[in-house]
This record gives sequence, C-alpha cells and structure tokens, in this order.
Amino acid sequence: MKRTWIAFLLLGGCVHVAPYDRGYLARPDMALDAGLGTARALEKIHPSKEAASGGASVGGGGCGCN
Amino acid sequence: MRALAFLLVFASGGAWALESGAPLPPLSAPALGDPAHKVAFGDTKGSVVYVDFWASWCAPCRQSMPLLQSLQQRYGARGLRVIGVNKDVSVADAHRFLRTVPVDFTLVQDAGDALAHAFDVKAMPSGYLADRHGVVRFVHRGFTAESGAALEREILSLLDETR
Repeated sequence: MKRTWIAFLLLGGCVHVAPYDRGYLARPDMALDAGLGTARALEKIHPSKEAASGGASVGGGGCGCN
Repeated sequence: MRALAFLLVFASGGAWALESGAPLPPLSAPALGDPAHKVAFGDTKGSVVYVDFWASWCAPCRQSMPLLQSLQQRYGARGLRVIGVNKDVSVADAHRFLRTVPVDFTLVQDAGDALAHAFDVKAMPSGYLADRHGVVRFVHRGFTAESGAALEREILSLLDETR
C-alpha cells in the first residue's frame, strides 16, 4: 500500500503534453541550454557570484571585472 | 504490487488512435484566418482526402507542406483534396510560416483540439489518407522523403480505385 502511495505522489508531477500542444515547448526561449551569448555571460558571472574562481574562469577576486 | 501495475496502466493514458479502416470523423472546423467559414469533413466524400496536422514550430512540416502543395496541384483535378489542420497557438504564427511556405489547399484551425482528439494525433506532422468513401486507408506519422514518396503512391492507388 505504501508503494502505491509513493507511485501516486511521483505520478502527480508528471504531465503528458500532447504532440500537437508543444508549440510553447518548441520556442527557443524554452530550450534547456541557453544561447551562446547568454551561456558565456553566465559562465563569467557564476564564479564571481560564488566569490571563487571556477574551472571555467580566469583568476579573480570576485569583483566580476576580470 | 497489483495496484501499482493497475495504476501504471491507467497513468500511461492509453488511447486508441484513428487507424486504417476507420471513417473520417464527421466534424467541421473553421477555416484558418476566416472563422466564419466552416469546412466539413463530411462534405469530402467522392474525393480522396488527405488530412494533415501541421504547425509552424514543427520542423518536418517545412518539408511536408511544399510536397502536399505539389500533390494538390498535380492531382487536385483527379479528385485529391488536401486539408491542413493547423495546431499553432496563434494564427499569426501560422501565417508567418505560410509566407515562407505558401500553399493554396484548404487550411483549418483547431483551437479547441477537437480534431486532434478525434484523430488522436500521436506525432507532428500526422496525416490521414481517406478514400473516396471517406474511409481512412493510410496513416502517416512524422515525415521523411521516403514517407512522402509512399504517400504519392498511395494517393495514386486510391485515385485509380473505381468510384
């Protein structure tokens, strides 16, 4: 019975979008990956906001100006 | 465990798609961009009808729509009637698409999804080819160059059938 309830809870988060209703999902701004420019900006800002230089960034003190 | 199995069966949303041998649903739909003008699927008997569900966001539709236009132009006089059912959220998107891929066959809109439900559309694009008696004979889901060639052969075979 417990398993059934767990399945109920998990299925509650699933929504089937019909193939013909995927107009909104097909919009470029719904893509999981950001565009090239946005991705580069995020890559630059992220280490600064985290106050550390990440693997994708040059060294910096967290000011975001490097 | 049995309850779980039941649950999964129902959660999968099992539906029966419109397949070969079923009659075209006797529905009507407003013309694209002209909602006052209704197109009735029941009025198409005597013609070989291809009902195609398409949308501007559907990438294969960029290939299928020009082919359907060409088929309509070549076989319209022999009794082929192509009806395109648009599934765009906004009619403006459909018109923007049609400016780059112009077609002159019948286009209808399906804002309430009544047609998509009746045909139980499983993929985009989906096409249903019905004979002169209004019975669906071939169903196409998705579009490739091969399925386009197959569609032309099927249309020709249905046009050649005795009335």
